[in-house]
Amino acid sequence: MNVCVTVNGKVYERVVEPRLLLSDFLRHELNLTGTHVGCEQGVCGACTVLLNGDPVRSCLIFAVQAHEQEIMTVEGLAPAGTDKLHPLQEAFRDAHGLQCGFCTPGFLLTLLPFIEENPNPTEQEIREALSGNLCRCTGYQNIVKAVKLAVETAERGE
Amino acid sequence: MKHIDAATHTRGESQYIDDVPQPEGMLHAAVFGSPIAHGRLLTIDLDKAREVPGVRTILTADDIPGENQVGALIADEMLLAESTVHFVGEPIALVLAETPATAHKAAQMISVETEALPVITDPRVAFEKGEIIGATRTFVLGDVDQAWKDCDVVVEGSCEIAGQEHLYLETQRARAVPREDGCLQIYASTQSPYAVQKGVARILGLPHHKVEVDVKRLGGGFGGKEDQATHWACLAALGAQITGKAIELVLPRHQDMVMTGKRHPYSSDYKIGLKQDGKIVAYEARHYQNAGAAADLSPAILERTLFHSTNAYFIPNVRAFAASCRTNLPPNTAFRGFGGPQGMFVIESAITKAAETLEVTREEIQLKNLLQDHDIFPYGQQVHDANIRRTWQEAEKSFKLKNLQKRIREFNDNHFEKKKGFAIMPICFGISFTATFLNQAGALVHVYTDGSVSVSTGGVEMGQGLITNLAKIAATAFGIDEARVKVETTNTTRVANMSPSAASATTDLNGNATLAAASEILQRLKSFAVKELNLSHPERLTIEKETLLFEGKETGWTWQKLVQSAYFNRVDLSAHGFYATPGVWFNKDKEKGHPFAYHVFGTAAFEVTVDCLRGTYEIDKTKIVHDLGRPMNELIDRGQIEGGLAQGLGWMTLEELKFDDQGRYLSNSLASYKVPDVFFMPDDLEIKLLENVNNTWGPYGTKAVGEPPLMYGIGVFFALQDAMRAFRPEMPLTFDTPMTPEKVLMQLHRDEIEGFKTDSDVMADHQEQPVKETE
Repeated sequence: MNVCVTVNGKVYERVVEPRLLLSDFLRHELNLTGTHVGCEQGVCGACTVLLNGDPVRSCLIFAVQAHEQEIMTVEGLAPAGTDKLHPLQEAFRDAHGLQCGFCTPGFLLTLLPFIEENPNPTEQEIREALSGNLCRCTGYQNIVKAVKLAVETAERGE
Repeated sequence: MKHIDAATHTRGESQYIDDVPQPEGMLHAAVFGSPIAHGRLLTIDLDKAREVPGVRTILTADDIPGENQVGALIADEMLLAESTVHFVGEPIALVLAETPATAHKAAQMISVETEALPVITDPRVAFEKGEIIGATRTFVLGDVDQAWKDCDVVVEGSCEIAGQEHLYLETQRARAVPREDGCLQIYASTQSPYAVQKGVARILGLPHHKVEVDVKRLGGGFGGKEDQATHWACLAALGAQITGKAIELVLPRHQDMVMTGKRHPYSSDYKIGLKQDGKIVAYEARHYQNAGAAADLSPAILERTLFHSTNAYFIPNVRAFAASCRTNLPPNTAFRGFGGPQGMFVIESAITKAAETLEVTREEIQLKNLLQDHDIFPYGQQVHDANIRRTWQEAEKSFKLKNLQKRIREFNDNHFEKKKGFAIMPICFGISFTATFLNQAGALVHVYTDGSVSVSTGGVEMGQGLITNLAKIAATAFGIDEARVKVETTNTTRVANMSPSAASATTDLNGNATLAAASEILQRLKSFAVKELNLSHPERLTIEKETLLFEGKETGWTWQKLVQSAYFNRVDLSAHGFYATPGVWFNKDKEKGHPFAYHVFGTAAFEVTVDCLRGTYEIDKTKIVHDLGRPMNELIDRGQIEGGLAQGLGWMTLEELKFDDQGRYLSNSLASYKVPDVFFMPDDLEIKLLENVNNTWGPYGTKAVGEPPLMYGIGVFFALQDAMRAFRPEMPLTFDTPMTPEKVLMQLHRDEIEGFKTDSDVMADHQEQPVKETE
């Protein structure tokens, strides 16, 4: 089947098998390997990408379901063509909200629309937003701190 | 210093094995595993699988050119099964195909004929039948048999300790690439590159030098990739050797969970004797380790159970026995703590039971028996720098634990269905590989003429922050900016015969080896510089902030000038450093020695709230005082403490491995195996580091941090039990982990629940009723 998608602002057109998962499509067809596959059944959230701005588990949908839609992966987060990081990425670095890094892209993409929609989240709201993503290395404390840091940075308009 | 990979991790640019662009013509592998837990393998039918378009070949044990053996400690585990299968999922055949999907589809079409043999899943049954791996072990101190007479109270009981799934988010994977002249390059997600190198060489009948293993990073390991990454790398290598093509093997999550070993379940008995004042006089423990179907690292793990059988307490009379029991589960393996946590859970259970009998709190007995300097462990080593009491006292003071306990009592007096519980968990964990020979490490350091530095060691980065630590160690040693240092991949051609990244000792060993290499280069640079600068006493030269100083005064030379001048004067700017932990030894015949360089200490306190009508609970508070020595990267080390705690809490509460009596793994996906999420972690988690402590063994005074914090998690079990007892004081104490909400409910309401009618009882009643009516 033909699939035409916009990923991180770039249009891609491929012919794929109807049952090819979006996660495999991104990784193997488009070589966007920042999207990691953890549990293969939608529990861990490592493969989260944005579909038309909403977080989705790319292991649970087919590539063809994203036809003529917009996807954002972790590769699209930092300002293109620079060494700079997005404030959320900076916050994960500064608060040490990562260890092995495998779950990190999924956390970032879950959080991106959350922070945009909730500029002043409570700790409880942050925890709710994070509750669908698993990290096996950290105790989540620094991930929560990273979100708070990102929110504070955004508030200061940095 | 921030995690050195933070930028690439958050940009999605960090490369794990299958993120690297694949070589032309690479094939993908899928494993076919045994459908039964124990039986004779009569026939393997590969015909249907071979017909699947895109399948290149299917390999079985007959195709192995070398020795079909992956048992590292004991040669009892084949790479591919021959005539017998020993656990569900034991690899039998390897499909090589053009795509992963084709390989997996074909693997599903393989069938085997088997003749079932009896299945053992219980370690005590295995022990009775003589299914024991290696020798049983007994550590003895004093005379337990005599000592019981001196005790005012003696209690005994048993514990059932569950295993634990590693659940590294990156499943097991490897890529093998054939190179010229029969050589192979292996990219593996392994904590032990040398184990992979040896394993592949053995399977293929090659000398070690023909197999190069390279590891960039792991998406989590936790012990699960110490020994058990080898199998998958060997299978990929076998495929590469036979087809001449690059082979990639990535285990799907389901297969990873079914085919790989976990933390060992233990079934243990204890007997503890005390004086009326709470002083422990004697302790006896018998540990039956559920090793699974092969030795793997079980004998070494068993040993650490004994080393930690008395946790942070001094007990003058001890007899601790342990047996590694062969069952038909996947071979269990290393997992953060390496058998230590199980030994510690048992002594904590014994103390809890003793406290009940003596009608005192657990904490009274714990505190009375904490280790002090010069106390002797059952393995003969004296404890030094026994900071355990300091961490306990610091926790009591900083966190006002007495007030906390008072508030908990008040809460319980004023609430009916919700009860709070409290527990303290002191930990003492020995640092060093208990196999003394593994306490060695090499490092290769190059200084380039632009002043940049390359460091290669045998240590593997798996998220713990090793390479960040190594970069900082090298930069500190040379007196240069951290940005000048690059830590390379872990590669068997740069550092030979490396020990696994395990035993919490990776930074100690590889950091000290890096220091040794840096120190050699510095000596050469200084000897050269004193001549050039017409000075004497090279030892009076130092480098600070990239400036060469003599007796603290500027020489006018920068690091860059020093390096460049040295190069043009033909000074060797590379060095290999070596470190072997001094003073560690152990005599297995006598079960005595000095196996650990030092011990890590800490104390954690827990407050929990249990909904005693529903069985659900919250961990309200976790307060920790931990001894890190002088941390190099406090942020990173705190991350280790929190992460270790999270895994310990999960092990004690949510994470429930379920096997049926036929050895089939039921909790085989993330839908049925629950690990801590962000809500599960305590809202109030505070970690204080013990101040004014040093450590002569770690680089720049650091202390190992990987494993010890996991054992804090044990405390939550006893806090939950404490809350349950507040609701139901007569509830019998059982020591059966994990304490899932279901078990909380069952223990609190056993009588009512056993009286409940099940759906089928109710149905049966309904069917009976009309009959009665007609009478």
